[in-house]
Amino acid sequence: MVFDAKNRMSHRTRFVLGIYALLAVPLGFLTVFVYLPFFWGFISSLYEFEIGAPARFVGLENYREFLFKDPVTWPSFLNMAFLAAWGVSVRLTVPLGVAKLIHTLGNERARHAYRILFLAPIVVPGVAIQLIWGIMVFSDRGLANEFLRLIGLGHLTPSWLTDPSSALIAIACIGFPWVGGFEVLIYYAGLSAIPESVNEAARLEGCAGLKKFFLIDVPMILGQMRLILILSIIGGVQTFENVLILTRGGPGFATTVPGLWMYYNAFSFQRMGYACAIGVTLFVLIFTLTALNLRYFKGAETLED
Amino acid sequence: MTGLSLPMRIEKYAALALVLALLGWCMLPKERAPGKDAGGSPKKTDATAKYSIRVAIGQTYMPGTVPMGIGKEIRGMADVVAAFEQRFPDTHIELITVPFDREYLVTQLSSGSAPDIVNVNVEDVWTDVQKGWYLALDPWLERPNPFIREKGDPARPGYEKWWDMFKYQAISRGKAAPDQLMYCLSYDMIETGIFYNKDLFRKAGVEVPNTWEKMLDGMAKLEKSGVIPMTIFMDCFNDWGTDLIFDQLYNSLLPGIDLLQDPLREPYLQGYLDWDEICFLFQKGFFTQRDARYRDVFRIMKELRRYCGPPIVDPTLLINDFVKQRAAMHWNTSQLVYRLMADKDLGFEWGVFYLPTIGKQTSQYASANPMCVIGGSANQLEVTNTAFADTGDPKTSKRLERVMAFLQFMCVPEQYTRVVNEYPCFISNIVGVDSLPVLQPFVEILEKPYTTTKWIFTFDLRFGDIQRRLLELYLNGAMDLDTFMRWQEDNLRTAIDNLMLRKPMDMAKMQARWDELAPARAEMEDLPSGL
Repeated sequence: MVFDAKNRMSHRTRFVLGIYALLAVPLGFLTVFVYLPFFWGFISSLYEFEIGAPARFVGLENYREFLFKDPVTWPSFLNMAFLAAWGVSVRLTVPLGVAKLIHTLGNERARHAYRILFLAPIVVPGVAIQLIWGIMVFSDRGLANEFLRLIGLGHLTPSWLTDPSSALIAIACIGFPWVGGFEVLIYYAGLSAIPESVNEAARLEGCAGLKKFFLIDVPMILGQMRLILILSIIGGVQTFENVLILTRGGPGFATTVPGLWMYYNAFSFQRMGYACAIGVTLFVLIFTLTALNLRYFKGAETLED
Repeated sequence: MTGLSLPMRIEKYAALALVLALLGWCMLPKERAPGKDAGGSPKKTDATAKYSIRVAIGQTYMPGTVPMGIGKEIRGMADVVAAFEQRFPDTHIELITVPFDREYLVTQLSSGSAPDIVNVNVEDVWTDVQKGWYLALDPWLERPNPFIREKGDPARPGYEKWWDMFKYQAISRGKAAPDQLMYCLSYDMIETGIFYNKDLFRKAGVEVPNTWEKMLDGMAKLEKSGVIPMTIFMDCFNDWGTDLIFDQLYNSLLPGIDLLQDPLREPYLQGYLDWDEICFLFQKGFFTQRDARYRDVFRIMKELRRYCGPPIVDPTLLINDFVKQRAAMHWNTSQLVYRLMADKDLGFEWGVFYLPTIGKQTSQYASANPMCVIGGSANQLEVTNTAFADTGDPKTSKRLERVMAFLQFMCVPEQYTRVVNEYPCFISNIVGVDSLPVLQPFVEILEKPYTTTKWIFTFDLRFGDIQRRLLELYLNGAMDLDTFMRWQEDNLRTAIDNLMLRKPMDMAKMQARWDELAPARAEMEDLPSGL
């Protein structure tokens, strides 16, 4: 009996140790490829250095320069705030509407087909999408201007990506109609997870249509909305590749975002320490926004509590 | 255990082997056409060549290319390579094309795998010279060119010193880095000029202007006649425009503000304002919003921009506007000469003139000096750390000997003329090799004095990038002058603060000189307010 208990404990211990050992492998890689570079990036942000040249410790000077002296900093943050706010708005709302419509379909086969149709666009590489929009939509003879000409507004056709008054809006419009992504799937999963008893109760109470959507469905999928909110904010703060591809941050700095400025400082201007300081600042921003989000944006489970 | 019979297993593995073999075959590097390099020089294999030297010679002389897409493929450099390889059978010279991006070059240099010889503006190299990526060429330039020496004629330039072979001594020596060392070989010269359509000028009743004001009047007439008066690549406003107009407005101040003279570069860069002088002068209020003269530089540039057509960024389209007679003038370098000469369907007579002097009518600050130039060295060849990678020490490297020998060989007049005069593009910088006659207008323009400073090379790359972007906005009407000046001052302040943190400068020496020059400044008007 004692022997059996010992044996079972030993087996349990071995099992747990095995789990830890298995976890140690990805954690080790994560440390080498993510945590150490991050730590190295933070340390580097305290130095002035270029590739191939000796580094010089400058303390917080890079941060001071970025936050208080660099004339590009605040315009780039404003651009980023606009793009992030826009991204959050459309990704929180439009896919939700589509997911609700699909979920409302009575036929399971139709629901399945629509889910696939709305998810399929995610297989198109982002770079290809940017280029398609740049060349086919926003060029002088692109879809946008041709449409304006068609409806008699030819005199209003701007050079979308080279006019400072329209470039940022054009960047924000990329991805229209903002329904071809995994957000639809996440919302759909959330709607499907609403217990049938809740739906039944709503029906009995005469709660249907938009009233049910806003009073029952939306509160029940707040967890999904929070996830999308966090991912949208992170994406918005980190964004730069679309701007690099389409406008290189121009005209002037009309579409420059901090991520792009970090890229230019690192690889074009060779100011690695300064670029690291921008990167760390963005990390702090993302971390703060995510923490605030987790603190103040309540999920459905919290509401239930 | 498997459920598969032996024949089925064999079949399965055979299919797999076939797929793998096919994949492997697809991944094999393509075989090159036997016996030929780019441009047609006989190719040596690595087995026969002890030294394989890679040269990024640049687009202008790349064998196998067709200049401006017109005419025959060029092959002058390939012939020089072939002659060199014949002379040195243990050496293979590979002419390669590399991206212009700084990102590319920096990664290649830092890993020691850059081409042995690269062709980049030496000013872009200065920021990297202390990293040991480039070789100072002074010891070789001060010694004889062995290919001249062997001819046994002491009168020939190059017999005593390689340096003596260069025609434009002041310009070539003026390319010395701030550490006084020479990191580039000024292989040839370039200058800008305004190409004009004589037919359109006659039609509009416009003559070649000899003053800035007449030029603007002429542009107005040309515009009325229904053509774009002048086309210019937008980036050139940032590079050429800023420096030329700056010189016109500040040249007369130089006796009061040129604080440091560089004995090495002074013969060519007379009164040149270096980065440390610009930093000092900024602190005295120059180049800020309080400096009305600086503000006027950009006002004048905007006046010029008004006549330069829509903001097209593709240089080819701008040239097309000129060639198709939609534009009456086009500001470009001597490189365009070949394009115009070789075009049999051109259908108009063209000429070249240079920007005229800005007069007091245009700006009260005008110095009324002849317009300076901003060209100079064209192809600037640098030797990288790869060249002495065999020993890591330039003094003992045999490979480096071959690299330097190739550069020296390229400068021998008989070889040089095969390259530089193969088609009209750049001006000869080797004594004894005349430029092609069609380039004569540019040879004359090159005789003018050099600009007072090169703004985009003065500070870090970020400064140049910000200035370029903002100037484009301002010139295209998306930003007013006040906003531009505010940005420019912020940009300049950040660049100067950054530079002063990184590089020591002798402020006391400049202050002393500043005080000495006070009497000269006392006679000058309209210096920055609060000075």
